[in-house]
Amino acid sequence: MGDPRGDASAAIFAASRGGAGGGASLLVRRIGEGDEDAMAEFYREHGRVVLAQVLLVTGERVLAEEIVQDTMLAVWRGAGSFRGESSVRSWVIAIARRQARDRLRGRRLRVVDDAFLADQPGTGPGPEAMALDRAELAEVMSAIRDLAPAHREVLGLAFGSGLSLPEVAGVLEIPVGTVKSRLTAARTALNRILDQKGQNR
Amino acid sequence: MNADTRFPHLDLEDLIAGAAGQPVGGRVRAHLAGCEHCQREANRWNLVADGVRGLADAAPGAAPPARPRRTGRRVPAGTWRRAMVAAGGAAAALVLLAGIGEATGYVHVHLNGPGTQTALTAVTGCTELQQADGTLEQVNGGSLVVKTATGQPVTVTTTAATFVSMSGPLLSDITDGAPVTVRGSSSGGTIAAVIVTVGQPFSAVNPPGFVPVQGTVADASTGGFTLVTSGGTRVPVTTSGSTLVIVPHASPGQLRAGASIFAVGHAGPGGTLTAQAVAAVSQLPSGRLTTVSVRDCSARSVTEALGAIAAAPVTGR
Repeated sequence: MGDPRGDASAAIFAASRGGAGGGASLLVRRIGEGDEDAMAEFYREHGRVVLAQVLLVTGERVLAEEIVQDTMLAVWRGAGSFRGESSVRSWVIAIARRQARDRLRGRRLRVVDDAFLADQPGTGPGPEAMALDRAELAEVMSAIRDLAPAHREVLGLAFGSGLSLPEVAGVLEIPVGTVKSRLTAARTALNRILDQKGQNR
Repeated sequence: MNADTRFPHLDLEDLIAGAAGQPVGGRVRAHLAGCEHCQREANRWNLVADGVRGLADAAPGAAPPARPRRTGRRVPAGTWRRAMVAAGGAAAALVLLAGIGEATGYVHVHLNGPGTQTALTAVTGCTELQQADGTLEQVNGGSLVVKTATGQPVTVTTTAATFVSMSGPLLSDITDGAPVTVRGSSSGGTIAAVIVTVGQPFSAVNPPGFVPVQGTVADASTGGFTLVTSGGTRVPVTTSGSTLVIVPHASPGQLRAGASIFAVGHAGPGGTLTAQAVAAVSQLPSGRLTTVSVRDCSARSVTEALGAIAAAPVTGR
């Protein structure tokens, strides 16, 4: 008898959830030439993902939309300077990140400290006692909202933006190893939040 | 079943790639199929990834993917598209951004200067609302002929209910007996006016940083006037070419040709726009982007958004 799990990995790792899309560089070139239809297409391709990422980090709807608008303006104005050295998706998300950083600069003076702490290994429960194993999706979504911005950001980039780890590293301007550390720290923090919420129920 | 011990457990990069929906190799699949430890780890990361995506999907307006608004009562073929695209590239980009707000019920107004490089993006979520912007060519009674940046004329009609505001270096609108609110710096008993609001104030036009002084105008001249307060105090006020004059409740006949027009309303017959609100700005700020956002599609919200444009030359300084 065969393995009852069959191709278990296919079930565990769901189908591809989309990425930056091919021909994207050509699209940016058309934008650089002033092609409004190309800008519309670009927006359809990336607008939703960028908004979701910015909203995840800022947690403020109106602010996130304004940042996305400013980002798309920057794309329109800066498309001519796009050199194709990164994927278009990571390029636009990096622009959005800079826009968000500029907007939030006055509010969050300890970004560096936050980022440092975000990379530190957590002291949560071990892998065999994961609150994540018992958590429902709605609980996880709620807990993600409670994470530090740097943790929300790296999770959003890794899982919501269609970027590879090297691309996430490029956007965050940190080494890939640090991205991994931050992801692990984010999951540990998430687990801790879930654990605390579970104990409080 | 245990994992194939010839290979170590999956590393984090594999697990992340899998949870992110990116391709994983045969080695990873083979290992995962037989390793309960890695299956647990993969499931945990998958749940985290699903949580992130769930938040994105749950965000109002994030689904379905935002699109430029192309449905509803849009006048077909060209006129309105060009009208909405307005002038210049930045305008085009902004119009496209309307899609985000369309699903969320936010109204966004982006104002970009200078001169004809103006843009208005509004609506979004307000399926019945249309917009037009450009340069005012002429006024025929209650109708405004607005020339978009592409040269396309659009007729904007106003009614008694239309909110019309205007602003700019409109010193000739400061006339004797007019009620005004003056904002500026005071020195030696004289106010150097930065903003003079003529007529009934409008709550959305209340730029921070100044203490408003109210009164009526006397002795108006090109260099200033005397502000007579309700207590009878007479305060000298100086004005200059950089003084911003705001008329929050103007009539169409007061609008000057050449002003940048921002209008939001309902599509009318023959490609016209029946305006709910109109803002006319005679001197846009240059090199700066101003954003005004309001929460819903009510006439009041739209009016406030357009009214706030009047103060944009000052609020963004």
